[in-house]
Amino acid sequence: MNSLCLPLIAKREFIEWRRDGRLLIAGGLSLIVMIAAVLVNVQRQVVAEGKRRAAEVLDYDSWLKQGNRHPHDAAHQGMYVFKPSPPLALFDPGITPFSGASIWLQAHQQSELRFRPAQDATGLQRFGTLSVSWVLQVLGPLIVIIFGFNVFSGEREQGTLRQTLSLGVSTRTLLWGKALALHGVMALILLPVLIATTVAVLYASVSAAALSDTALRLLLLSVGYAAYVSMMVFAVLAVSARMPTARASLLVLLGLWFASVMLAPRIAADVAEYLDPSPSRVEFNSKMASALDAAYKRAWAKELGSEKRWGGDVPLDRWGRALQVDDHAGYTIMDQHFKRLWDTYEKQNRTQEWAGLLAPMLSLRAYSMILAGTSFYDHRLFSHAAERQRRVMQDIVSDDLVKNADAHSHTHGEQAHFTYQADARLWASVPRFSYQTPLAKEALGRSVVGFAVLLTGLALAIGAALWASAHRPE
Amino acid sequence: MNGILEALAVSKRFGETLALDGVSLQVNAGEVFCLLGANGAGKTTLVNIFLNFIAPTSGEARVDGRDVTRHALAAKRDMAYIPEQVMLYGVLSGLENLRYFAALATDEDLPERRALDLLRQVGLDETAARRRISEYSKGMRQKVGIAIASAKNAKAFLLDEPTSGLDPKAANEFSQLLRTARDKGVAVLTTTHDLFHAKQTGSRIGIMRRGRLVENLLAADISHLDLESLYLKHMSNQDE
Ligand SMILES: Nc1ncnc2c1ncn2[C@@H]1O[C@H](COP(=O)(O)OP(=O)(O)OP(=O)(O)O)[C@@H](O)[C@H]1O
Ligand SMILES: [Mg+2]
Repeated sequence: MNSLCLPLIAKREFIEWRRDGRLLIAGGLSLIVMIAAVLVNVQRQVVAEGKRRAAEVLDYDSWLKQGNRHPHDAAHQGMYVFKPSPPLALFDPGITPFSGASIWLQAHQQSELRFRPAQDATGLQRFGTLSVSWVLQVLGPLIVIIFGFNVFSGEREQGTLRQTLSLGVSTRTLLWGKALALHGVMALILLPVLIATTVAVLYASVSAAALSDTALRLLLLSVGYAAYVSMMVFAVLAVSARMPTARASLLVLLGLWFASVMLAPRIAADVAEYLDPSPSRVEFNSKMASALDAAYKRAWAKELGSEKRWGGDVPLDRWGRALQVDDHAGYTIMDQHFKRLWDTYEKQNRTQEWAGLLAPMLSLRAYSMILAGTSFYDHRLFSHAAERQRRVMQDIVSDDLVKNADAHSHTHGEQAHFTYQADARLWASVPRFSYQTPLAKEALGRSVVGFAVLLTGLALAIGAALWASAHRPE
Repeated sequence: MNGILEALAVSKRFGETLALDGVSLQVNAGEVFCLLGANGAGKTTLVNIFLNFIAPTSGEARVDGRDVTRHALAAKRDMAYIPEQVMLYGVLSGLENLRYFAALATDEDLPERRALDLLRQVGLDETAARRRISEYSKGMRQKVGIAIASAKNAKAFLLDEPTSGLDPKAANEFSQLLRTARDKGVAVLTTTHDLFHAKQTGSRIGIMRRGRLVENLLAADISHLDLESLYLKHMSNQDE
């Protein structure tokens, strides 16, 4: 092999793409779609974050200013907490569109999950979100196919492959030259997207600390996507090297694309569900409800000496205490049930990540969401924090009831329990919810599987391309 | 004298078909070896074996003393291949095709001036050279093929019916170019169905029949008429 050959081969491919219009039409359109996706998502992110901050302030403010009222009423009305959107959500919103960005904290109940659809969504269903990540994951391979389907097969059909090989150029040199060309054209299309994303993310990041964290995430994302695109390049080269005609290789490649990008996510979700079945919402709720019921009964019997919850056995001047007992009995049960459910979803996600060995997009999707900070795990962390906040609120309210309402009833008669009112001092003792999104370092650990699968796929694709180009009799 | 191209008892079997049956021949520097033979006689198969596009079942093909299967790339560097239809990139001009293939073959950039010179030598002026191959006639393509072969400085040319489909004038020009190459010391192995062409350009003439080289003559030793009757004799025995 010689240093002159590779750029020479690559340059010729470029001339061909330019002259047959592919560079301008396919390349230009792809670039426009991707830049549009960046812009749309920056806009969406900026608007959403603005709204979130405003709502957050407004909501806590109305909590503080709710006036004098019975603490348990206040707890029932509760408050909303809002999930901060990480800067890279503008690149990959992950499960956010399906999980929602706010959680209602109210008495007695841990908030429900709303993320199922994201796990089930096939590529097309997610089109509605037109995220940059989606465009790269789904359209990226298609762009590689458009430029690469005929690099070998077309030349074989035209006879120029034979002409080239008769010169004493090795198939391996030819392969690297063509790989260089395809990487080059993809870089030409994707670098502007990377630059646009970087600028957008800088614009969306608030603090300097957040900035360096985001920069690290962006770097790792770039590496992951580069590995994915590179894998596609070699896979396309491998198929093109095996196929007798350009048409045949286009058909095979489109078939593979459809199977791995459109069908595989659906199938992987089903397989994951089969391996680790998750309960339906009704099932989950009724199971948890009966477990809660038993726990409440036990706690009431033990702590309050009552058979019946909220019955007449417990005098009203102990209802504050009763609330406390009731809440605490529920916490462990909820923790257990949610943990089991969420662990199931995590296992399903893992399965899908490994399924990336067959359909690489699945690994990239997981890797991308994790590094963007919009994965299921991030949602789980946030939900945890929200639930902690709910319990803080609950405990403060119940403690206050024990201290004041129960005592109030001692002196003013049982019904006085309900006439007790707390004031702004109590509301202010519930801290403002603040949530720190996890650091890139932590995401890094969780992205290892996805990355390993991507690298394995890349190695396999390179191997396949080398084998295919060397083993076709001309 | 050592041959540039040497076939040593080369046989090739495709399933049931014995396409080549112990063919031995030698083409020296400055010689044009014309291979005649009916359709399916094995001419193309022999050319393909020299180019290592296919491997012989037994025997050995050598280029400048090197076994082509063991030194495939090096052997190809010494050869230039011109098929019945020289395959070039349609969207590139003749000039661009020549510069591309020449650079691939030699690892060196072929300056535009030099490339235009080479094209002029094969009869393509600058206007023609700058047109896209998709607008070329068959004869023009064959000429680019010769230009590539000369740019490559190959020791041997392997041609498979290079003039079939060319009009007499173009075929004649082509033969002239082959003779020029021969005079520069190139060993030429060409297949053809054109007896006249063979007698005119060949220094040696071989006739193949069912995978075997049945005649191997010095062109100077045989008259055109004798060649014709010899050829027809082998043709008529084809089905024996
Ligand atoms: N790839 C192949 N697979 C099977 N049989 C083949 C293959 N290539 C050639 N043959 C057979 O080998 C024999 C010799 O074919 P070849 O193409 O070498 O003939 P040829 O002398 O070049 O004929 P023509 O004058 O028609 O070009 C024929 O019987 C042909 O059918
Ligand atoms: Mg033939």
